[in-house]
Amino acid sequence: MLFESMTDVVPSFFAWLNQGPLTLTIFLHTVIILPMFWIYASEKKKLNKEKGLD
Amino acid sequence: MSNKKASVWTSIPFWRRSAAWVTGVASVLLIWLTFDSISQINMGTESDLKNGIDKRVPAATVINYKIGYAMDAKRGHEVPTIGEKQLFFGKEWNEEDAKNLLHLGKLTSQSKNCMNCHTLLGNGAYYAPDLTKAWLDPAWKDGGPMQGMTGKNSVEEAISEFLQHPSQYPTHARMMPDLKITKEESMGLVAFLKHMSSIDTNGFPRNFSKTDEQFKRGGSNAH
Repeated sequence: MLFESMTDVVPSFFAWLNQGPLTLTIFLHTVIILPMFWIYASEKKKLNKEKGLD
Repeated sequence: MSNKKASVWTSIPFWRRSAAWVTGVASVLLIWLTFDSISQINMGTESDLKNGIDKRVPAATVINYKIGYAMDAKRGHEVPTIGEKQLFFGKEWNEEDAKNLLHLGKLTSQSKNCMNCHTLLGNGAYYAPDLTKAWLDPAWKDGGPMQGMTGKNSVEEAISEFLQHPSQYPTHARMMPDLKITKEESMGLVAFLKHMSSIDTNGFPRNFSKTDEQFKRGGSNAH
């Protein structure tokens, strides 16, 4: 099961994060990798704009 | 040349922004995790024990209670259980005395360098038995070989006697040396071990024999 009910002694965000390898992977991809696509896109847009001005 | 698309991969600002983002998010998560861990390893209080509130690290007065070790099906490993009241060295310890005794035990474990051979909560060596759950070791209980050998009739008295004169009791292929531990120090150490066994360590050490039956069948006590 991807998501299990909280089994830790003290329920916390990190306890949820550590329920299995997928929860951690999905979380880190959401907060780190996905925004990097946006960084890439915005840099590309900026560079194309600079090229156009040249 | 001007028709060629710009390459983001050779752009310094792109790498700078990416690095800043990854470092920033990781730093925030690690700082958050640090404070989360600090709150989880805070020692509980006497009222937590009375009201049955689970804390990873119970109050020092947990030495006044019977400590068990029971399988938690949901978590998939054993967890310490705090049972009914149990006299420790023949008496019930108040909050201050229990704290002082535990503190003496901790200082003794450091000054005698237990970790040089033993493992405590994952820190130390495996030259000698793991002490994390040593208090629960069936060998020290009534009818167990260690208690029988010392001639005492309680777990705390037996461990205390052993710690004061370890070289009198041949136990292991590698015998424990006489560290000149005094009676008070040994009582502190036993309190320290009893308290440590009540800490929820997520089932560590994994190969510890949970029951007397398992031990008699030839189980391990993480020796």
